[in-house]
Amino acid sequence: MLVRESRAVLATGLVAGLALTASVASCAAPQNDAKQTVLQIGAIPDQNPEKLNRLYGALSEELSDQLDVSVRYSPVSNYAAAVSAFRTGSLDLVWFGGLTGVQARLQTPGARVLAQRDIDAEFTSVFVANGASGLRPFTSADQLVELKGRRLAFGSESSTSGRLMPQYFMGEKGVKPEDLAGGGPGFSGSHDATIAVVQSGAYEVGALNEQVWRSNVADGRVDPDKVSVIWRTPPYVDYHWVVRPGLDDRFGEGFTNKLQSALLELSAETENGEAILELFGAERFIPAKDEDYVMIESVGRQLGKIR
Amino acid sequence: MALRIHLKPALPLIPLLPGVSLLGILLVLLRDGHGGGLPLLQQFAAAALQPSIDPAVLGSLLNGLQITLVIAVLSWSISSVLGVGLGVFSACTFWEILAGVRWPAVVLRRCLAPLRAVHELIWGLLLLQVFGLNGWVAVCAISIPYTVLMARVIADQVDCHVSPAIPVLKGAGATPWAVMLTGLAPPLVQPISDHIGHRLDCALRSAVILGVFGLGGLGTDLSLSLRSLQFQEMWSGLWLLAIAMVVLDHLLRRLRSWSRMLMLPVAIASPWVALAWGTHLDLQLALPVGKWFMVFGNLMGGSQGLSAALEISWPGVIGATVWITLIAGCVATGLPPLLMLVWPSRASLCLQGVVWGAFRLIPAPLTALLLLMLAKPSLALAGLALGLHHSGVMGRVLIDDIRSTGFRSAQTLKSCGASPRVCWLYGPLADVSRAYLTYAIYRLDVILRDTAIIGMVGGAGLGWQLMEALSSFHWWLVIWIVMMSAVLTLLGESLGERLQGIWNSRAMAL
Repeated sequence: MLVRESRAVLATGLVAGLALTASVASCAAPQNDAKQTVLQIGAIPDQNPEKLNRLYGALSEELSDQLDVSVRYSPVSNYAAAVSAFRTGSLDLVWFGGLTGVQARLQTPGARVLAQRDIDAEFTSVFVANGASGLRPFTSADQLVELKGRRLAFGSESSTSGRLMPQYFMGEKGVKPEDLAGGGPGFSGSHDATIAVVQSGAYEVGALNEQVWRSNVADGRVDPDKVSVIWRTPPYVDYHWVVRPGLDDRFGEGFTNKLQSALLELSAETENGEAILELFGAERFIPAKDEDYVMIESVGRQLGKIR
Repeated sequence: MALRIHLKPALPLIPLLPGVSLLGILLVLLRDGHGGGLPLLQQFAAAALQPSIDPAVLGSLLNGLQITLVIAVLSWSISSVLGVGLGVFSACTFWEILAGVRWPAVVLRRCLAPLRAVHELIWGLLLLQVFGLNGWVAVCAISIPYTVLMARVIADQVDCHVSPAIPVLKGAGATPWAVMLTGLAPPLVQPISDHIGHRLDCALRSAVILGVFGLGGLGTDLSLSLRSLQFQEMWSGLWLLAIAMVVLDHLLRRLRSWSRMLMLPVAIASPWVALAWGTHLDLQLALPVGKWFMVFGNLMGGSQGLSAALEISWPGVIGATVWITLIAGCVATGLPPLLMLVWPSRASLCLQGVVWGAFRLIPAPLTALLLLMLAKPSLALAGLALGLHHSGVMGRVLIDDIRSTGFRSAQTLKSCGASPRVCWLYGPLADVSRAYLTYAIYRLDVILRDTAIIGMVGGAGLGWQLMEALSSFHWWLVIWIVMMSAVLTLLGESLGERLQGIWNSRAMAL
């Protein structure tokens, strides 16, 4: 008994000493709160997410060189969290999807669209179906009614290409979410997972970003006997860079414009630029305006994703 | 005179009863099974043996693990200290000793319940709206529901450990505080310190789930790898998490074996260590500044308060939520005792511990994805996915409880010539049944909250509707859903209390 008690006393002493040392150390250590002078960039988690860290490391470095400011990348793996972090000022420049970008701009007065990829001006989604579902490629959009009564998977609930636009085009032909089997769609959480659940047969149909579909096909991760494209949506605008207002005050006159130029000037001719553009799956970035996203906003409002 | 016999199941059979639901689930799985996802399951299993050892991946994971640990330790200690305090205040016994009335305890309990009804992920998203990306957002998001859950457990423990010495002490004229210190506190040390120790494991897993905010953390890496189905990278993270869980568990066991009194001082001291550690990591721990105006401004701006409530068909959604919760609760409660009886030996406990550890380790969304590779989506499948994850927690509780009994009852029965299965059923399992069932009822709360993270299996349930409302920034609907979840939690709680009463009285009759 005595041994145990003395051990307990010893341990309490150790714990107390450690706590005291630690609290002294934490007071002395510099707080890493240098938010004002650091450009905080972020991105919604969409495709090839495990590459995001690598990609944004390179991009931070490039922007930092070009603009002569420190750049810090914060990964956010939830769409709504990315929008909120942008609104509260935790992120200054964010790579948003169509819907999330509009949500972010509506919640952050003064925020503006800076740029998009060359492929974003005419982006498309594909509907893919499991072979066992008996669905064959559609020759016209009217055949979307065949989706009634099927098990359908979207990607993430805030994804433009994995949910919003496919749902919109289905609605145009009178297919409502409640017409699907199970009373509504499932949400796989990501484009890659949509392919997996359709290929396995858990869901009969899925809708996803065509770019992700193509890269999966190219990497041999799709079994063409089990899953194939049945319909491609008409083009719409998608991903874009959105920047917070007030950067000029923090980093100097004309900073936002310089930032835009730095993004637009990324070219495949420099080593860093080539790596970045390749990871983004684009040839280059092109200028984009707020007005380009009016259609996304009205679709978002129509489907209740924008209030 | 007619002889009336009430047939009641024996106490150790009650934890086994929910296991009957497994038959139903098996039938559903047979009906919906497709097996089309076997290649993906093979990939997943193979990746467990060949995790990625890319230095970039490992570096990011190690850094993430530290951030996750800091957040977990901070929120664990804050919720332990506050939870013990609030728990004592919401115990009927406390107020009876102090003032001779019970109602303040009941009022406090009911007031705290709504805080528990919201998943930590959703607390995180709500706090993020106000405070932005900050380490404290994650800490508070875990601490709030954990504190309240801890308070409930502690209050129940206080109320069920009423010592017969209390009235004697009171009669002898001791002051209320003296009665509490001498009559109430001593028997509580063991259950409270056990529970506090157990919560660190939970806090660690919650911190992982919260990684989705981009506070770095292991959860961010894991969820990113899951989204792109990069199983090798995911397994590197899962193995790291497993190691961390085992090491922490071992440390806490060691600590408890030295002295149970130590748990609370450690809980009080550890946040300082974690804070000091946090300053050296890429984690924002400066005091956050709230921007309440944005949230309230948005809310007040809209006038669709009532119409928002009509956007959801409540009976369907509530029905689905309750159904999923019940199935998951049955699976989580029934599976561990069943497995124990399938292989009743002391040696197998270690192996069972590994099985439950694996179930805890694999996040529920991943379990759901893996199950979808075998069967079509259905509510039963959603329940099974959640249930398997939580059976990991229940299994751990069961094994811990059984170990602490010391197996004497099993030896006694064995020496009477009973078969091993009967020994274990009427021995250790009977000893721990009551505590286990009580814990199962707390678990229902957690399962109800967890319906938020199972969108993959059909997008059903209140939790999923809440995620959808949050991602549309539809604040009125968020308020309605949170209120409804709170009502469900309260109903579940009062039902649970009644059940506990029934089980306790049955135990007396045995």
